[in-house]
Amino acid sequence: MGLLHVRGLAAIVAALTIVGTACGAPSTPSGASGAAASAATPAGGPIKGGTLVMAIWQEPANLMPHYANQTVQSVVLDAIVEGLVKTAANGDYVPVLAKELPTVGNGGVKVSADGKTMDVTYHLRPGIKWSDGQPLTSADVQFTWRTIMDDPKTAVRSGYDQITGIDTPDDLTAVVHYKSVYAAYPTRFGRLLAKHALQGIAPAELSKSDYVRKPLGTGPFMITDFKAGDSFTLVRNPYYREAGKPYLDKVIFKSVPSSAVAIAQLKAGEVQAMWNLLESESADVEKAGVHVVVTPGPSVERIEFNTAENKDGTDPNSKHPVLGDINVRRALIYATPKQQIIDKLLYGKATVGTTVLSTGWAAPKDVTQEGYDPKKANELLDQAGWVKGADGIRSKNGVRASLEITTTTGNKTREQVEQVLVEEWKQIGVELKIQNIPSAVLLSASWAANDPRKKGSLDMWMYASSPDIDPDSIIYERYYSKKIPWSGNNGDGQNYTRVNNAELDKAIEASRSTLDFDKRKAAYDTVCKVLNQEAVIDWLYNRADINGFTKNVQGVGGGNPWRVLTDNIEDWWLSK
Amino acid sequence: MGRYVLRRLVQSVPLLLGISVIVFAILKAVPGGPLALYESTPGITDEDIRRLEHSFGLDQPLPVQYVTWLGKFVTGDWGYSLVQHQPVLSLILERLPNTLYLMGTVFVAVLILAIPIGTITAVRQYSLLDHAVTGATFAFLSTPTFWLGLLLIIVFGLDLRWLPLGGMATAGLPFDLGDRIRHLILPATTIALVQLGARVRYLRASMLETIGLDYMRTARAKGLAESAIVIRHALKNAAIPLVTIIALDIPELFIGALVTEQIFGWPGIGRLFWDAATRTDYPILMAVLAVSSALVILGNLIADVAYGYLDPRIRYA
Amino acid sequence: MAGQAVAVAVPPAVERQRGQWRLAFERFRAHRPALAGIAVIALLAFFVVAVPVLSPYDAESPKLLEIFEPPSLAHPMGTDSLGRDLATRILYGGRVSLAVGLLAVAVAITVGTLVGMTAGFYGGWVDTVLMRTVDLVYSIPSLFLLILLGVYFRGLSVAAIILVLGLLRWMTTARLVRAQFLSLKEREFVEAARCVGARDLRIIVRHLLPNSLAPIIVTATLGVAGAIIAESTLSFLGLGIQPPTPSWGNMLMDATQDMEMAPWTAIFPGFFIFVAVVSINFVGDGLRDALDPRHVVRKEQ
Repeated sequence: MGLLHVRGLAAIVAALTIVGTACGAPSTPSGASGAAASAATPAGGPIKGGTLVMAIWQEPANLMPHYANQTVQSVVLDAIVEGLVKTAANGDYVPVLAKELPTVGNGGVKVSADGKTMDVTYHLRPGIKWSDGQPLTSADVQFTWRTIMDDPKTAVRSGYDQITGIDTPDDLTAVVHYKSVYAAYPTRFGRLLAKHALQGIAPAELSKSDYVRKPLGTGPFMITDFKAGDSFTLVRNPYYREAGKPYLDKVIFKSVPSSAVAIAQLKAGEVQAMWNLLESESADVEKAGVHVVVTPGPSVERIEFNTAENKDGTDPNSKHPVLGDINVRRALIYATPKQQIIDKLLYGKATVGTTVLSTGWAAPKDVTQEGYDPKKANELLDQAGWVKGADGIRSKNGVRASLEITTTTGNKTREQVEQVLVEEWKQIGVELKIQNIPSAVLLSASWAANDPRKKGSLDMWMYASSPDIDPDSIIYERYYSKKIPWSGNNGDGQNYTRVNNAELDKAIEASRSTLDFDKRKAAYDTVCKVLNQEAVIDWLYNRADINGFTKNVQGVGGGNPWRVLTDNIEDWWLSK
Repeated sequence: MGRYVLRRLVQSVPLLLGISVIVFAILKAVPGGPLALYESTPGITDEDIRRLEHSFGLDQPLPVQYVTWLGKFVTGDWGYSLVQHQPVLSLILERLPNTLYLMGTVFVAVLILAIPIGTITAVRQYSLLDHAVTGATFAFLSTPTFWLGLLLIIVFGLDLRWLPLGGMATAGLPFDLGDRIRHLILPATTIALVQLGARVRYLRASMLETIGLDYMRTARAKGLAESAIVIRHALKNAAIPLVTIIALDIPELFIGALVTEQIFGWPGIGRLFWDAATRTDYPILMAVLAVSSALVILGNLIADVAYGYLDPRIRYA
Repeated sequence: MAGQAVAVAVPPAVERQRGQWRLAFERFRAHRPALAGIAVIALLAFFVVAVPVLSPYDAESPKLLEIFEPPSLAHPMGTDSLGRDLATRILYGGRVSLAVGLLAVAVAITVGTLVGMTAGFYGGWVDTVLMRTVDLVYSIPSLFLLILLGVYFRGLSVAAIILVLGLLRWMTTARLVRAQFLSLKEREFVEAARCVGARDLRIIVRHLLPNSLAPIIVTATLGVAGAIIAESTLSFLGLGIQPPTPSWGNMLMDATQDMEMAPWTAIFPGFFIFVAVVSINFVGDGLRDALDPRHVVRKEQ
């Protein structure tokens, strides 16, 4: 306590420099967070010790690294488990447990002569230990891959399924053999599993093991207590690789019933941090003297239009009676007051959405979408032959321009946006009815279970989604024409807007057939541009990751859109 | 009596089977499912979804799924949560003490308050006190639990800052009885006030009935003091409704108070059920429903048996 | 929940004479809380019906410039998170909540009466099957069942919600009606009707049903109160009436997020649920006293 750690100070300075760089980078539009963090840092160095309690208003269902599918799981896991490489704020990959990022340039990546396969060689940092004191070895890398492929409950196998084998010539070297040229290889092995803890368990039994709740890791903290519905207690990992870190003795994630309760507890000082403030709440919290850290993220709130007829087992060539007309879709986008929604409902804590890839290396430079212009919307509909009836609602060939919008129940901001749109679209002669369903139904994606997006039974739906730093799978699954789910392909794919455009297909094919960054970037530029030409998605706003801290929490970075707030938790400390 | 109990127990078997079939059918008819959680995972493919569906057994025909579940359930294998991956039994046992702690406190507090209040208002029927208490019980009976909870949070948590807003204990603190109690006050009060209304009304009504009965009149005619009558005769007979209340409250102890647990972030069975319901985590839902339905049936049986034991006028065929 | 079910005591079957209803009316008129309850409900009903005339505000369209205004002369109960007049929304919400309550009970009474009637009149295996079904539904904790059905019918129409609520509360009526029928059908007047050659339906409609009416009325009244609370609970949990249609329950759900910033958004809708439910309960209590002669005996002592 009270000791001045010179090395720690250096690390803080280094961390802030990284944040500063991020702010300078064009990919992160707001620099407010970094500046605020540094302004709040008092003179003197980090103080060691103390317990930080962070309120989380959703709860990790489990902490199995390769099952993780909720953001809040990452929030807890990022303090515990690490991987070979991670994504830095500017979208670059930086080594974590690997000594350096293997690239073609440094000889770490070798593409075969026929250009069809590749080998990636990782050199591990020496001297890394798991939190139980056992050494980390290349066998753990190999085991992680085997487990992901063999455990039937693994969430995502893509990428790992391209691996044919992993050689471990020595304890610190892992050679990964890919059967294809897999451009997104640095995104794999983001969390390693400890072989020595799991090797005795059959893959199918892994989900029943205690590891699901108390995984081992090499990160700054280790989990000691998992109380579902109550709290998750993490203590300092004595074997953490950076001497003197983490500063905090203990981190407790406290499960609370709602963000409102989390806010009240944060204001009352019952907790020192809270995860995930809603945009609409942040203004009020800031006034109460809470330190709000805003990190623009890759997540984009959007309304997706179903362009095909909404019937079971939709024929991908059919046309939605109203939304099948591109003029209607464009008019709806014209009549969406995005800026007003951001200003009034989100208190300015978001930016206007224009495309699916809002940040990162693949983000297109100058893609735009129709701005707010209800007059233009009306003209467009007039020209397209949609005539206003006595009740002010348009129709064409006997089809009324009456649509339903669906979003996840209980999400207040979304419900508010819907209600604004009901009003706005009424002005251009389009009737909108709200028909919300719980997220478990809306976001479910099972053809067999007749899930609505799969079957195409909705007109339009509002939700947020974020692409990975390598957007390959999301672009391919959602916008490629062969990925339109219908009875003819047994419901394969997530192209729920049923967009079907030859130019789009070509660009998507181009994006996934090369390792050349410039070529891939150009392809994604085209993808984003064509998507907006087709007007199948109304990009509402780019969401930010907003977290709150009491004033005495120092060292919070929060500048990395690709990671959760606990990304640099080893640097956090409590001032007096 | 033994044969009666046995017959009732045998009868409850088809009842429970019927319940499980109905519940299973409802759950399976629900669109969406546990796999919706995976949607937000970057890079997840349809192939991943189909594999997961298969590994959870969700791709089997419905009757097969049901029979598999039932077969395992009756042999004590309650399965694993589809989301938390832990054995359902241990998930329930993990929450049970918390619910028992909350509901047990409520149960005792309500009994301690309801017996004297119910007795006094019955004896002093139409007195000012009776009117006041009857009015108050009516008010609490008519208050939605969640609104009462919100009001208590607004007043005592947010405004006055006297009591914590939720949870069972202050995070990070070693066990501290005072802290535990402070966390218990608001949720317990919320449930207790609403329950108290119902219990007092019931007790009062039963007492009144007893007071009006023949043997009470006989006692009065014998010239016994009113207080002696109440204590010796009326209270003894009020044991019947009391036992009924206790027996019928047994399932309550397990089920907890879902809405209150939800508002106060209490890690009990109710929240376990709610989380499972929103995620369609059916192994948990089926188990909680089976256990609570069994407890309801058991509670009714105990109430009926106790009734017969205490009230000689009732005979079981 | 179980306790509340117990509190709804079941009046015994009593054969009523001609003057019975008149007497009951007299007794009801003497029940002051019940009269007060009727007055409050009538007032509420008036406001709820007249709200389009009384209020200059729209219940659904957002006014983004008037978010969270505290109660004032212009907005007696303040505005909500979308700047809409809370008082207006509460009255429109009252339409939904009251209508759902009434219709749900109508469903419950219809189903319950049909089941109870059939079971009581025919007896035998019909009775066994129907009454075991009643036991079955009774044995599932009602809030759990409510949530399950809510999850099943989620996102569906108001009609579906009415159906869900109705399907949860028909069992009491069924048991009541069955008990009435069992005790009534052996009575002389039924025997007499049968001798004259009256058919089943006629006996049921002309003789048995009218004599079972009193307990049905009491259960129905108290049931409306219960259904209003159930609807608001369901909507509060996000499974009931969906926005922008206001209901007292979904307004309260909305308010949970703002209860610190705008406590009035939580206080007023809940208060209206409370007032409506307490009034209806008083009326139900008055009706029970009026229609259940046991209470009369006690009062005459």
